Amino acid sequence: MFSTSSQKKFWTFSDDNELASLREKHNLAYIYKHGQNIDEFQRHSFFLSPEEERLLLKQYELHLKEFCKRFSPPMPKGVIGTAFHYFKRFYLYNSTMDYHPKEILATCVYLACKVEEFNVSIGQFVANIKGDRDKASDIILNNELLLMQQLNYHLTIHNPFRPVEGFLIDIKTRCNLANPERLRGGIDEFLEKVFLTDACLIYAPSQIALAAVLHAASKEQENLDCYVTEMLFRHAGQDKLAILIEAVRKIRSMVKMVESPAREKVRIIEKKLDKCRNQENNPDSEIYKRRMRELLDEDDIPHTGSSRMSLDTSGVAQVLSPSAS
Amino acid sequence: MDNQVSNYSVVGRIGEGAHGLVFKAKHIPTGREVALKKILIKNLEDGIPVNVMREIKALQLLRCKYVIKLYNMFPRGMSLVLVLEYMCSGLWDMLHHNQQELTLPRIKTYVQMLLKGTRYMHAHYVMHRDLKPANLLINHEGILKIADLGLARLYWPDGGRPYSHQVATRWYRAPELLYGARYYSEKVDLWAVGCIIAELITKQPLFAGESDIEQLAIVLQHLGTPTEESWPGHSDLPDFHKITFPESTPTPWPELLPGVETDAINLVKSFILYDSDRRISAKEALKHEWFQNRPPPDSLENMPKPMNKPK
Repeated sequence: MFSTSSQKKFWTFSDDNELASLREKHNLAYIYKHGQNIDEFQRHSFFLSPEEERLLLKQYELHLKEFCKRFSPPMPKGVIGTAFHYFKRFYLYNSTMDYHPKEILATCVYLACKVEEFNVSIGQFVANIKGDRDKASDIILNNELLLMQQLNYHLTIHNPFRPVEGFLIDIKTRCNLANPERLRGGIDEFLEKVFLTDACLIYAPSQIALAAVLHAASKEQENLDCYVTEMLFRHAGQDKLAILIEAVRKIRSMVKMVESPAREKVRIIEKKLDKCRNQENNPDSEIYKRRMRELLDEDDIPHTGSSRMSLDTSGVAQVLSPSAS
Repeated sequence: MDNQVSNYSVVGRIGEGAHGLVFKAKHIPTGREVALKKILIKNLEDGIPVNVMREIKALQLLRCKYVIKLYNMFPRGMSLVLVLEYMCSGLWDMLHHNQQELTLPRIKTYVQMLLKGTRYMHAHYVMHRDLKPANLLINHEGILKIADLGLARLYWPDGGRPYSHQVATRWYRAPELLYGARYYSEKVDLWAVGCIIAELITKQPLFAGESDIEQLAIVLQHLGTPTEESWPGHSDLPDFHKITFPESTPTPWPELLPGVETDAINLVKSFILYDSDRRISAKEALKHEWFQNRPPPDSLENMPKPMNKPK
């Protein structure tokens, strides 16, 4: 249930300002940490500004959408929604300069596949990626744990797709709208765009779903206002209705504002990023390769006794009953 | 910060999971005993296993006295460590090493705990898919908790999605799974519950097949050849036509469970049904007369309190 979920408790924010200040904080923290030796004037031209990071992430959200759309085998909508949530959550608490969005994007989609029970092997997954696939699979697997940690292990995502189904069933039974199935095209189109906004970090999945349904209805020259006021909110009271109407209005206006970032601008930002990114997290750097080797070696939980706990599993008796296959 | 290894001191090794070792440890700041389940990722081709994800998702969702608690998680090198409630014993242990402790009143109490945990899981649309004595653990207070949710997953009541039939440990596997069903429900857990209750009472597994085929043969031999009436739709199951078994008539339950009281037989019988829709729910089973009849379930004070013993 959404109402008792970690999504509501930890990942639903009050408004755009709260999101902006979180993002700015991590942008500044990165610059502070890595910019000590650069004079203040140059610092601004060397590092990405919060606005530049936003633009870059918008571009990568478009890449994310395209990647999922072209994925083979075809990917269920829930996987795509969950991947978007992960990607947005990750960059609320991390700067793109620390972790390149290209790498986090693929890891988000891979993790979403697992969590949403869309079972593809890493081999099948990277077959969808251009370029060096072995390298891609190393990067994804190396980042998986980091991503889970940055998500605070809150893996379950409540997407708007199921509430949409609920509304459609309800409209079919309680509303005299002719052929509600014709709303689907408009709904899908709306939800595809909604993930390019911050709506899912601010609003409940059911609010987003309702915005999609109402948008689709108005595209079909239908009006469902009566359904909302007379059916859904009949017993809820005016204040709750007002909150919902405002939420739907905001979500619809966010979707209306979606636009692709200018290519030339993004190209310049990417060039800047190549220089100012954290080399420790750059898979092509020597320092990254060395750190990965160290991680592979440091793999025991220290034992309180004198001898270290060995990873050798021999000698531990298996439970005798036949195990699940 | 609880989520780092330096907060825990490892006391010993408890056992081996599918993907790594399980340690007993103490959480230093609170003195609480915990189990650290360490999942080694470096040797796994596809990264963190799906069943670890399932276990995390299920345990984060379920907050019930009769389901094991996941306190925390942290990365350690290329491993992921789950911090779980420490449980010093389990039903498998009791059945194999402490049978005399399993008196009828205590069995009734354990079964109530198992049913409450199952009722809770099913109310949250989680099916466990691998209930068996080895996954029912007992803590130092004597409380039974459902553990090892590595096969647990969310299901949708409308049954729209196929699931793997390669789940559940053989002896506790529902007949629809043995015939390769891909569309099944939480009712597979209730078959397993029936098997577990019978085993607690008789101290013998109810249906102990050596192979999947033998498992099916034993179930069919005792419950009789299924008919369209006793099991609607069974002949449509994927593997139904792959193998035929000799015609059989049902073994009378008093022969299958010799010396067992009628009320207990009645309860087991309401779980062990071919037709999954007719299997009693955990919620209904808790109202069964077996729990009202003498002897009554034991109170928690009288339940065995397992000690921390080295394994």
